[in-house]
Amino acid sequence: MDLDFTPLIESRQYLLEGLELTIVLSLATVAASLALGGAVGLARCYGPSSLRWFLVLYIDSMRAVPVLVVLVWTYFAFPILSGISLPPFWAALVALTLHIAAYVAEIVRAGITSVRPGQLRAALAIGMSRREAVVEIILPQAIIRMLPAFGSILSITIKDTAIAAVIAVPEYMKQSETVAGQSFHPIEVFSVAAIVYFLILFPVTRLVDMLYARVAHLGRS
Amino acid sequence: MNFDWTVIWRNAPSLAEGTLLTVVLTTLTMAIAIPGGIVLALMRLSPIRAVSAASAGFVEFFRNLPLILVVYWAYYVMPVAFDVQFSAFTTGLAALAFNVSAYNSETFRAGIQSIRKGQVEAALALGMSRAQAVREVVLPQAVPRVLPVLASTWVSLFKDTSLVSVIAVGELAYTAMRIRSQTFRVLEMLTAMAAIYWALGYPQAKLVDWLHRKFRVME
Amino acid sequence: MTGPILSYCAVRKLFGQFVALDGVSFEIARGEVVCLIGPSGSGKSTLLRCTNGLETIDGGEIRFDGVPLPSNDAGARQIRQRMGMVFQNFELFPHKRVIDNVAIGPRIVLRMKDGLAVRRAEALLDKVGLSEKAGSYPANLSGGQQQRVAIARALAMEPELMLFDEPTSALDPETIGEVLNVMKRLADEGMTMLVVTHEMTFARRVANRVIVFERGTIVEDGPPTQIFETPRVERTRDFLSHLGWAG
Repeated sequence: MDLDFTPLIESRQYLLEGLELTIVLSLATVAASLALGGAVGLARCYGPSSLRWFLVLYIDSMRAVPVLVVLVWTYFAFPILSGISLPPFWAALVALTLHIAAYVAEIVRAGITSVRPGQLRAALAIGMSRREAVVEIILPQAIIRMLPAFGSILSITIKDTAIAAVIAVPEYMKQSETVAGQSFHPIEVFSVAAIVYFLILFPVTRLVDMLYARVAHLGRS
Repeated sequence: MNFDWTVIWRNAPSLAEGTLLTVVLTTLTMAIAIPGGIVLALMRLSPIRAVSAASAGFVEFFRNLPLILVVYWAYYVMPVAFDVQFSAFTTGLAALAFNVSAYNSETFRAGIQSIRKGQVEAALALGMSRAQAVREVVLPQAVPRVLPVLASTWVSLFKDTSLVSVIAVGELAYTAMRIRSQTFRVLEMLTAMAAIYWALGYPQAKLVDWLHRKFRVME
Repeated sequence: MTGPILSYCAVRKLFGQFVALDGVSFEIARGEVVCLIGPSGSGKSTLLRCTNGLETIDGGEIRFDGVPLPSNDAGARQIRQRMGMVFQNFELFPHKRVIDNVAIGPRIVLRMKDGLAVRRAEALLDKVGLSEKAGSYPANLSGGQQQRVAIARALAMEPELMLFDEPTSALDPETIGEVLNVMKRLADEGMTMLVVTHEMTFARRVANRVIVFERGTIVEDGPPTQIFETPRVERTRDFLSHLGWAG
């Protein structure tokens, strides 16, 4: 097996642009998912009960359907239905956000319910309004517990952006695929891709492990 | 804008086959990845440094790579490394099995370590060997803790099988998208694909919730 | 069967830099009931755990029935079958019923037939006064009941020596008595017992010998009357008065 890494060196600009897009897409998705998922999670806990069934349906549906399917449907099928066509990057952003926000919502719900009910009662007893109690007392305690899981979300998002390659988003996976196909040296290209993804993800998973260790001692508050 | 929803019905047999392959792939992967995970977990807990490090390395490797990349990588590397032409199915199965084994090993490791040290000591104090202690005391207590997590992993795996469509394994996603290309019925086929995954995945997710409730560990 | 059943000779044990046992030497004769007392961290429990091989020693020698403790696994297992251990946290197996907890040693280790193992277990449960709990799970028993089952479980192996590691420290005051009564009966029947305990009344009444530990060494070793009434060493007096022991 003789390896030839020159195609990689020749296409390095192309690959680097892909890597850049991976990072941008990941960060944008995480930000949007945290916003949407946070809102959904809070609405599930504190919102009107008439809304709950819909939110639960959304969350459970995203647990049931693969990311690939959501990506493909958003990019190919949605434009037909709505007349709005989304460029690959935006389709990926929307699809990934919808998918991952569901997980964020569950994390938020779990975090909030892990705070002892007595805390809310105590806050109300000293005269806080419900909103003040949630913001001042419940959420700070809940957020600490949620931090490690949020770290996992970053890790999962970065991995899921690679799936966006199937709808031709020119992120790192797609660019690698292209270079591999054109150069007939897939082993070298994909091996380097593996190393690159590993180098990006390893610090994130380490951080998550550390966060989990730090909050491990917190049981129910 | 005209839709032809009958295309789904006309291609039902193919879709059924694709769905069946998805189920087969999931089942086979788990069949390999459960013993695989146990072996890796026991290796990780071994007092021999080299063994423990090898297992830890394997697990870290798969935790930190996108599965789709592993699938592509396996597809190109396996034939060269083993000098044998594997079917896409086998390649996909291998990639999935390695990936899930890594995740399972963490599940099993956490389950085993959640058993108090004193339990093993009490077993040893009676004269049991380590193997007997693991069989009689550790595993029976670890299994109920591990089962709900394994169920979650199963559901994730079921969804992840869609990724082997990129190397043309004829599971549900590949089949649906192939029919789409052949018939140009994009919205219909993609919606059907989503609906079938939803119909299969939703009850599985609910089952996992039930398992989590049933086996909630009371200390 | 002559000679001491257990002899410790200059036993040393280190945990990293910390010296848990610093040259401990003494002997126990068959049928003796020896209580180890002393402040927390003085090495009493460590010595017990070295005795049945749950910890290895770093210096000196421990002899059981005249033979040094084996360092290989199979040998260690053989020795453990001849010693019974009772833990502070009982450590009953929660997934097995009480009767199965007591029978598991004979079943798995002695490879006894099921019927025989269960009959032995039933007899022992009767002896500790818990026959009616045979079919229950440990979680449904009080602490004192669980500890009595743990004693029965250890006795099921018909050991020559019983090691007790603070058997009553995790119990409610009301249930301590029932466990100490079982232990006293065992002592009266001639069982050799090595007991790490804070229960001074038990030591006073049941022990043949009390050994006072401090910082990994033996401070004083003598009959209860000596230790509790006329201690020869200043540190013994200090330790006892610290506990409010008025004699």
